[in-house]
Amino acid sequence: MPDTHFYRYDDFDRTLIAERVEQFRDQVRRRLSGELTEEQFKPLRLTNGLYLQLHAYMLRIAIPYGTLSSRQLRKLAEIARKYDRGYGHFTTRQNLQLNWIKLEDAPDALAALAEVDMHAMQTSGNVVRNVTADHFAGAAADEIEDPRIWCEVVRQWSTLHPEFSFLPRKFKIAITGSPNDRAAVRVHDIGLRLWRNEAGEVGFEVIVGGGLGRTPMIGKTLREFLPKEELLAYLEAALRVYNRYGRRDNLYKARIKILVHEIGAEKMREEVEAEYAAMKDSALKLAPETIEAIANQFAPPPLPHRSAIVPEVERLRLEDRDFALWLKANTNPHRLAGYRIVTASLKPAGAPPGDASSVQMEGVADIADAYSQGEVRVSHEQNLVFPHVVIEDLPSVYAALKRLGFAEANVGKITDIIACPGLDYCALANARSIPVAQRISNHFADLARQHDIGDLKIKISGCINACGHHHVGHIGILGVDKNGVELYQISLGGDVDFGKTAIGTILGPAVTADKVVEAVDALVATYLEAREKGERFVDTYRRIGAQPFKERVYAAV
Amino acid sequence: MAKNLSGELQVASANRLSDGVVVFLDDAGQWTPRLDQAALARDGRGAEILLERARVEGASVVDPFLVAVSEDDDGTVTPLSLREKIRASGLTFDAIAAEAVRYA
Amino acid sequence: MPLFRLNPKAPEAPALTLANTDDVLQLGARLHGVKLIVLNFPKFTDGRAYSQARLLRERLGYQGELRATGAVFLDQLPFLLRCGFSSFESDQKGFGEALEKARTLFSVVYQPVGDGRATAAELRLKRRNATVPLAAD
Repeated sequence: MPDTHFYRYDDFDRTLIAERVEQFRDQVRRRLSGELTEEQFKPLRLTNGLYLQLHAYMLRIAIPYGTLSSRQLRKLAEIARKYDRGYGHFTTRQNLQLNWIKLEDAPDALAALAEVDMHAMQTSGNVVRNVTADHFAGAAADEIEDPRIWCEVVRQWSTLHPEFSFLPRKFKIAITGSPNDRAAVRVHDIGLRLWRNEAGEVGFEVIVGGGLGRTPMIGKTLREFLPKEELLAYLEAALRVYNRYGRRDNLYKARIKILVHEIGAEKMREEVEAEYAAMKDSALKLAPETIEAIANQFAPPPLPHRSAIVPEVERLRLEDRDFALWLKANTNPHRLAGYRIVTASLKPAGAPPGDASSVQMEGVADIADAYSQGEVRVSHEQNLVFPHVVIEDLPSVYAALKRLGFAEANVGKITDIIACPGLDYCALANARSIPVAQRISNHFADLARQHDIGDLKIKISGCINACGHHHVGHIGILGVDKNGVELYQISLGGDVDFGKTAIGTILGPAVTADKVVEAVDALVATYLEAREKGERFVDTYRRIGAQPFKERVYAAV
Repeated sequence: MAKNLSGELQVASANRLSDGVVVFLDDAGQWTPRLDQAALARDGRGAEILLERARVEGASVVDPFLVAVSEDDDGTVTPLSLREKIRASGLTFDAIAAEAVRYA
Repeated sequence: MPLFRLNPKAPEAPALTLANTDDVLQLGARLHGVKLIVLNFPKFTDGRAYSQARLLRERLGYQGELRATGAVFLDQLPFLLRCGFSSFESDQKGFGEALEKARTLFSVVYQPVGDGRATAAELRLKRRNATVPLAAD
């Protein structure tokens, strides 16, 4: 069994999650006996990741910085099998959701998670949530520093923080270690971007008040350059300002982005800097040994030099068209020449996006052990990633993924759809999203066609809470309910890649469910006819504007 | 098959506390997963009484509420809203089966 | 409303009662000589008094009794205690027993707050330094 190359829990960490499980076990007992009312119990179960959805409780398991060992993934498979219906859903925040959990089983499921140093703490509720990172961390060629080190630092600081367990609303933090932000830091409550200043020092740009949902906003820079050891003191200052001044009167205006919008970025900066100044030299300043001890655990696995040119792989690429397309779409450059980063596509044609059965999870764990140093990542796009695959092994990995149904060469393409669970599962939804994703996926299943269309991100949300991130889709689709009928509002030009953040603009009136595929077809046709060399869908849209797309869509539906 | 779509027919529903399963109040005041066994309120007053009863029996469920339904000539009861249809009958697509592995 | 005090003999006057929207950093001279400050949780999900408590204890150095009133429930005791509350008004059944156990419910804490408990980070440093060999003898 390979050693892990990310933070390993010590006895302190293990004790804490075990004690939280025991506390929760007692809270569940008191709820089932009626000692606790639902009102008293709800925040207690939410801060252990347990939602009540349409058909059942849903457990949202934290996967800190989207990194899993094969051992952990196998345990997830086992828990899905034993306590759920044998499958789970990987989310846009790098977590895993199990949809059919029983409350009475939840403490045992959490205890099972604790066996592999996993938990569901603070994946819901008005607390600091799972801190997300770049899913290529530690492997990408353009990385300045591994952001996961800092995710772990923040994870510990934010877990059961006594002052910040009853915030006005949820608080989401994301960290990127690369100038090509793959963690969408500008649409988080706080985004942190590692960068190197002119003096050669690495520090954080601190961005505040981004978010999607009802009022999508792009975050503002709170601090250009924050020395790394000051991170926790600064975050504590920001959270304290939010806890004190965030709105408590209106659920829909309670996020920090509203506070920033209402008092202005300048005032927000003043308040945070004042609080931070008052806390200077606090116990929160990170000792270099503490940072080093955590950073060392993220040191990459020893990756021996391997050849970048492998004749066998070249031959297969020329002979097998599907393999060639898979190489092109589903693999990315690694910082080392003889390696590639491989994405397992959890978007087979017509399947619910981002779902994996227990058997498939175990298959992925096997591939990780054999070919990827025992490590798997969860992307923000509901796929799984093998960070360190030797080029020589690519044909074997491809074959193994094919057997699992995870080798569709569609990563980043039109059928690599992000969709929230929607009205099929979710108590908050207005419309279904999974069947819409399935229809689009089936319609565009032809691989050659997909590669001709090129990079195109469709993101679907079943309600304004935007868990499908529709605001930042090249094509965004928002399900709404009008007089009991499901309608879908289409937006264009959203983006959250390559350091660019843009909120999409609504195209026109919402369309009925049966017209969504026609609408997307019309959008694609408009692009194919108008595109200039090298332009992706979103580039053409930016060049020619919405009008040609709008005309075509509304003529078709 | 004439349907009563006026929204006057109601059943009481909730999620069971212990396992989250969707349940309906039956005539005996018990919670059942079967919509076809749900007690039917046929007017406003009846609905008030039904909801009150659901609350009285509410210890084993979470937040009972009323669901508007229609009734066919042959007595089949169907929720009016899509949301409640989904609650009553489950996912509208095939989830990945427990042992699903696809072979290329 | 039953009252639970960590120090039942502590003086209760002069006392100051604050709304959870009050800025404790503006209290200035009003704080002088106060023996009891009463903070409020209008709903237990409104966490503003946790910040007030920490600022009073840690920024302003307040050492008198700090009382939690309003919606005060036993499941929040670990947080309340860590933020510096020393007395509680609650009619929840079992509150007193829970108070006895609340301080030991979590033997590991991550964040440095005013309760003086060593954090995991501090204990790790200590442990590391304890195993560092001394300079060659």
